[in-house]
Amino acid sequence: MNISQNYVDQIIQKISTWARVNSPWAIHFNSGSCNGCDIEILATLTPHYDVERFGIKLRGSPRHADVLICTGPVTRQARDRLMRIYEQMPEPKFVIAVGSCGISGGVFQGCYNVEGHIDEVLPVDAFIPGCPPRPEAIIDGVIKLLTHIQNGTRPALVIKPGIKEAV
Amino acid sequence: MTPLTALLSIMFFPAGLTLILSGMLYEWADRKLVARFQNRIGPRWFQPLADTIKLLTKEEIKPQGLNYILFYGLPIVALTGALTAALYAPVLGLPPIYSFPGDLIVTLYLLSLLTMCTGLAGWNGSSRFSVIGATRSFTQLFAYEAPFLLALLGPAMAANSWVIKDVGVYAQTHWMIFTQPVGFIIALIGLMGKLELPPFDAPEAETEIVAGALTEYSGRGLALFHIGKSVELVVAISLVTAFYLGGIGNPFLFLLKTSVILLMMAMLQSILTRLRIDQTVGMWWRFGALLALLQFLVMVLLKGWLA
Repeated sequence: MNISQNYVDQIIQKISTWARVNSPWAIHFNSGSCNGCDIEILATLTPHYDVERFGIKLRGSPRHADVLICTGPVTRQARDRLMRIYEQMPEPKFVIAVGSCGISGGVFQGCYNVEGHIDEVLPVDAFIPGCPPRPEAIIDGVIKLLTHIQNGTRPALVIKPGIKEAV
Repeated sequence: MTPLTALLSIMFFPAGLTLILSGMLYEWADRKLVARFQNRIGPRWFQPLADTIKLLTKEEIKPQGLNYILFYGLPIVALTGALTAALYAPVLGLPPIYSFPGDLIVTLYLLSLLTMCTGLAGWNGSSRFSVIGATRSFTQLFAYEAPFLLALLGPAMAANSWVIKDVGVYAQTHWMIFTQPVGFIIALIGLMGKLELPPFDAPEAETEIVAGALTEYSGRGLALFHIGKSVELVVAISLVTAFYLGGIGNPFLFLLKTSVILLMMAMLQSILTRLRIDQTVGMWWRFGALLALLQFLVMVLLKGWLA
């Protein structure tokens, strides 16, 4: 009984992983970037690159989304909003940081109004470097995240000493 | 009909599982055709299935400040309405399982249940986007419902019966797309309004009001609404095909005819832009309803003259 139960669980796990990998719905949030990365993300969604091939769809509501695509450093004003959008997404959820500013703060590092990079506020699953990254790079980053979900090798969440308390 | 066969017909064929899967297939065909019209490659064939399973496995967030009986009940009622409508519709060109005098009206009301539930679900929400989306859903419902009903009553009147089965049998020998072209066009556009496809997607305009009435739904509720919508697509398309394009008959030919209707819908979706809600209402009541009534009048006069 126990073994068969385990087997059923495994099959359900496999099916849900398959569905998750094949239909990542995204929501896009700019927490203080210069708009360069946002334009590249929008270019990625155009017919030329056609991310609907992979089932990627841009949704307006965070409640429908699986992947939060963030750009830019986190400013003091945007920090609470970013966290709120993340909290509004249903589990399981993933975060992608696009652009140099999202990774390290970029040219905005040390600004009076900048809290830091996205990793300080949210657990980020994939970083896409570039200033701004090309659409091909963004697609590549998303596919890398999807392969990680597929293999179940999602990097364990490391809480850094510097991570801020959740709202 | 024994209880067992009734249960099988509700669970597997023609309602239930078969209908849900074929609904997903139709949805994929629609998305793929729109993608090809936009010079894209488009989604893979299992895309709607993956979307649905993913939504079903996701967490369902319970927003604060609403009626939870409605919040959890409305998606189920919406899907039930669409699935029940399938029992009276000639899905895949097969004669409907149940039929009784006047089932055409009941089926049309069951098909409106999904829109009603979507609107109520939005009205129940505390988000301003869902309330605006709900208002637009209801406004649009009042706009297209009457012309769509008149467009489907035309063939019923020609067949002298309000039973879907009889109309389907009558339509086998009378292709009503030729005798009632206005009705066919109104039925086709009404179908797009019913399914809230562009250009009638003001209720869920993602560039203005996030996701309309379903903004607050996540996980299971959203999945049930999605399934309901694809089931409604199959049922409504079967009704229009059976009434206007040669009635109940060979399933293969029937599938071909529904594909032609789907192709036309995808083309209209990709060449037209979204109408404002007042433009939608104006269009339906100024042209749609009047043209349908005019055709009705002509039919009544012709029928009286011939009799």
